[in-house]
Amino acid sequence: MSTTSTDAHTAGERSWRLALPSTMRLQEYTLVGVIVALLVAGTILKPDTFLTTDNVRAMLTQASVVGVLAIGMTFVIATSGIDLSVGSIVAAAGVAGGLVIDSGAWAFFLVCFGFALLLGTVNATAIAVGRVVPFIATLAMLAIARGLALQMSDKRPISLISSEPVRWFGTGEIIGQPVSIWIFLAVTVVGWILLNRTRYGRHVVSVGGNREAARIAGVPVRRTVFSVYCLSGLLAGLAAILLSGRLASASPVSGELLELDAIGATVIGGTSLAGGRATIVGTFMGVVVFAMIFNLLTQLDLATEWQQIVKGVIILAAVLIQRPERI
Amino acid sequence: MSKYLRLVALVVPMVLLAAACSDDDDGGGASSDTTEAADSGGGSGETVTIVASVPPTDHGWLGQIAVKAQEAADSHDDVEFRLLEAADADSQAAQIETVINEKPDVIVILPQDGDQLTPIAERAMEAGIPVVNVDRLFATPEAARATILGDNYAIGVNAATYLAEELDCQGNVVEIQGIAGISVTTDRSAGFSDTLTELCGDGIEIVAQQPGDFTADLGLEVMEAILQANDQIDAVYTHDDDMAEGVVAAIENAGREDEMILTGVGGSCAAFDRIEAGGLYAATYLYSPTMAGSAVNMARLIALGQGLSDLIEPEVPSRIVVPPTEVTADNVDDLRDLCFE
Amino acid sequence: MSTPALLEVRGLTKEYPGVRALAGVDLDVRHGEVHCLVGPNGAGKSTLIKCISGVVDPTEGTILLDGESIAGGSPSAAIGRGVATIYQELDLVADLSVTDNIFLGHEFRRRGLLDRARMRRETTELLRRVGHESIAPTTRVSDLRPAGQQVVSIARSLSHEVRLLIMDEPSAILDDSEIETLFDVVRRLTAEGVGVVYISHRLDEISRIGDRVTVLREGATVVSGLPASTPADELVTHMVGSSFEQLFPERAVGGGRVLLEVRGLQRLPDVKPASFELHAGEVLGIAGLVGAGRSELLRALYGVDRRDAGEVIIDGEALPAGRPDRAIAAGMGLAPEDRKSQALLLEWDLVKNVTLPDVARFQRGVIRVRAEREAVQTQLDALHTTPSDGSRRARELSGGNQQKVVLARWLLKECKVLLLDEPTRGVDVGAKAELFRIVTDLAREGLGVIVVSSEIEELRGLCTRILVMREGELVAELDAAEASELDVLRHAMPGTQQMVTSGASESDAPGKEA
Repeated sequence: MSTTSTDAHTAGERSWRLALPSTMRLQEYTLVGVIVALLVAGTILKPDTFLTTDNVRAMLTQASVVGVLAIGMTFVIATSGIDLSVGSIVAAAGVAGGLVIDSGAWAFFLVCFGFALLLGTVNATAIAVGRVVPFIATLAMLAIARGLALQMSDKRPISLISSEPVRWFGTGEIIGQPVSIWIFLAVTVVGWILLNRTRYGRHVVSVGGNREAARIAGVPVRRTVFSVYCLSGLLAGLAAILLSGRLASASPVSGELLELDAIGATVIGGTSLAGGRATIVGTFMGVVVFAMIFNLLTQLDLATEWQQIVKGVIILAAVLIQRPERI
Repeated sequence: MSKYLRLVALVVPMVLLAAACSDDDDGGGASSDTTEAADSGGGSGETVTIVASVPPTDHGWLGQIAVKAQEAADSHDDVEFRLLEAADADSQAAQIETVINEKPDVIVILPQDGDQLTPIAERAMEAGIPVVNVDRLFATPEAARATILGDNYAIGVNAATYLAEELDCQGNVVEIQGIAGISVTTDRSAGFSDTLTELCGDGIEIVAQQPGDFTADLGLEVMEAILQANDQIDAVYTHDDDMAEGVVAAIENAGREDEMILTGVGGSCAAFDRIEAGGLYAATYLYSPTMAGSAVNMARLIALGQGLSDLIEPEVPSRIVVPPTEVTADNVDDLRDLCFE
Repeated sequence: MSTPALLEVRGLTKEYPGVRALAGVDLDVRHGEVHCLVGPNGAGKSTLIKCISGVVDPTEGTILLDGESIAGGSPSAAIGRGVATIYQELDLVADLSVTDNIFLGHEFRRRGLLDRARMRRETTELLRRVGHESIAPTTRVSDLRPAGQQVVSIARSLSHEVRLLIMDEPSAILDDSEIETLFDVVRRLTAEGVGVVYISHRLDEISRIGDRVTVLREGATVVSGLPASTPADELVTHMVGSSFEQLFPERAVGGGRVLLEVRGLQRLPDVKPASFELHAGEVLGIAGLVGAGRSELLRALYGVDRRDAGEVIIDGEALPAGRPDRAIAAGMGLAPEDRKSQALLLEWDLVKNVTLPDVARFQRGVIRVRAEREAVQTQLDALHTTPSDGSRRARELSGGNQQKVVLARWLLKECKVLLLDEPTRGVDVGAKAELFRIVTDLAREGLGVIVVSSEIEELRGLCTRILVMREGELVAELDAAEASELDVLRHAMPGTQQMVTSGASESDAPGKEA
């Protein structure tokens, strides 16, 4: 949907649009405003350590795990669905990969992706074929995947410290920048193209916007719904690799509450929980805002209760400012 | 997320419990009024029923609590043992309520929250079932027949003493805490900061204090941000060995492992390995899950009416405090047997 | 003429940034009169009633109710003064019961709790007043058909004291017998002295129910207070400057090869086994009362609803059941009954709405957005859609223009068989004429078109043949050029209660008459 912002309009039209920007554009402006405000606040409060190359890099690195999940979440929410299980799938996929780490890094990557995709496919089957409400289906998977992670690992973290290729995802660099940032950016760009510039993306948003109309227009509704949960699972596998690389281990208790950050970032970005409106650019900014809040408040060594209050207030304010205008 | 998990975790044990109740007649009937003072070896012929109730064992230390308790129970032929996990304080209370109706000989409780579970423990005691309290203290002495616990405040004291000496009372210290708002965290933190002030005055500054919730992920993320904010960090005091793995990863990813030293708590074998290798990970403090095994042994002796073998008193003492043994490169080899995976 | 006016509107204007929605409207409504308000879409009718009912503040001008100024109030203040409005879009809560909807916001209470018994009694009474006591007060509104929901909406407005009742196209979703009931209600209210402002696109209703007529065009009053007996022709001339006969273009003749063959198509209980053929170049009408199974027949044919049995063969290719995507691939297109809930994504721009079934044709790796926009623009321009700017959101368009967007979709897809379900509902006279022309042109180019409509007049003017449905069954096939409205009605009405007196005893059996 964010494509409208790049569409050309006639000159007369443009002035009208500036006066009354559409909801989507207003939302993106709001987040830019929040980001600028956080940058200003950070620069004033922590002049030496906030707006530094190193810290920006650190923030983006931290954003990468949630970011990859949030891109997948954007597709799910666009269909008016939800995926609560991604945090647990991250843990389960990491542990599953960790079990085969002795066979080499490629086994780790393969199993990590494969297992995450498998769990995502179970979600997809329950929702698209079994017609279970997404909230319930993925809530069940949240429990199942966490249980599997604990069971498979015997409740112990699995060390991956000896696997250089896995570590590379946490510490390696490409052209001087961390690998995880590149992956996050790549997933964002591919996600944007997929959502805005392919038939598949149109189908995804149409299914969430008006399922009946989509069906009448010949959109394969069930197949589309099925696919977004697989996609979300697959990206959870990628997130598991990024997280394992940084932690140098696969822990069965990792990824807790990641789904809430992913959902939160997607929604403050402007994707509608009711479906039918989705923006990858907004999600990207939402993820960055979350990472900035976390980084700044931790740097300020604010007590944890204040961190939670500030984070909550910023989320609420962002969503209030950008709520759709009703005439 | 753990809330959702808890829902599930709450339902499953209840069902299991119900099943266990229905076909377990002898458990309720068996009494243990063994009056003869038996030898320390036991072997009275009676079966002792012990039920343990603990929080979810999905964390390294709590996981070992379950293992050590089970091992201790398995080492006795006359113990019938069951371990129950409860997701939160409410469901744990409900669970213990059910257990009371089964009338086991002894209940071992590691409460989610000592204060909240005190009433239910008192009820068990009033029903004539002795309670052995592990790790987190009940609010009143009447709630338990015997208590075995570590000393969280002392952990803070010891870590502060160690770091004060290593840093010569000069430098910047970071504290990565456990879950905010529970007594374990509060005590470990208070012992640390009280002692640092006492020993060094303003010499050592605690530049950051953030919760890592006992998990490696959050330990990693919090430490990454703290590393950005602070140019010079001389030591990190973490509240848990597992969480410390994430903190160590953050420090190593930033290439600053030579700048500081770090201490943990718990006694995981991974921590032992790092201490043995030398460098960043300087010390940890045993907060050994073996206390769960001791608790089961105490429970058995209470049921049998016996005392601890090397003590002269005929009964089990009402409180045992396990000191936080300091593990450093000097003694890590000697203590190797005590670490847990 | 000497009676003081109930409602007096003078020089009303309303300006939005860049748009002048009303440019000086005058209107007066007497006590106990039905005053009809007509005009093409975009003439300002909706804005006018929003001003009267307090939803928007006028920029200039006066609104007097019994001599008292009411401009610039709130909707609740207007209701308090006795102005009730029934909007075109029913604003009922689908999941609540009839009673709950009627008393929503002004529930009866007894000792702090809802007085359900009393509200149910009152509901029964209100429904009796509108002649629909057959609706149970506990029915969920979503279980009612649109016509039933309309009735509930009217009953709700009567739950307040009413001096002036504004009805925005109340008959649009009703069939003929229901319209008669509606008129009864209106007459009863006017007998009590209530003034009614009645908006309709169906000019034939004006002489049946109205006392006087006011015509709006481009935000201004063209003529006000004409007698209701004014010929429709003259009204149309006032509205659009063209006369009534010109509404219908020269009829499509049909007679091409068989494009679509339907054999024994059924979906019980709505659609009983139906067989017919559609030829290239033909416009086939399907008539019948609301609930006769016309829409259901189209939906089963297209595959939105899975058929129980039967065959659908398009250009020699048999279609699988329940697969709209396969129907589309074979060249079928459906413009459904309810554009807003079944055809369009209202928040999407026109371009995406048009290309939804066929966006793959613009995709070479990624969608080439410019080519897509240009192709859509060509279609929109050809159909004279206004606004024609493809980047506008579908929500911003009037009913007729939304219908054109749906048509553009299927024209772009180059479909062979077009299914139109109530294509002119909520469409003004001018746009109707345009739609008729487009449909006829398409048929002339060799498409086969099936039109379902409740307006018999429309089917007679537009179609080659008319099929009549009654209670799920195809009961007659008529030649549209020769059949009278009476012929069609005679077949459409259920056997026992023949409202049509003359000729009712004639052959009523299913069969071909043409």
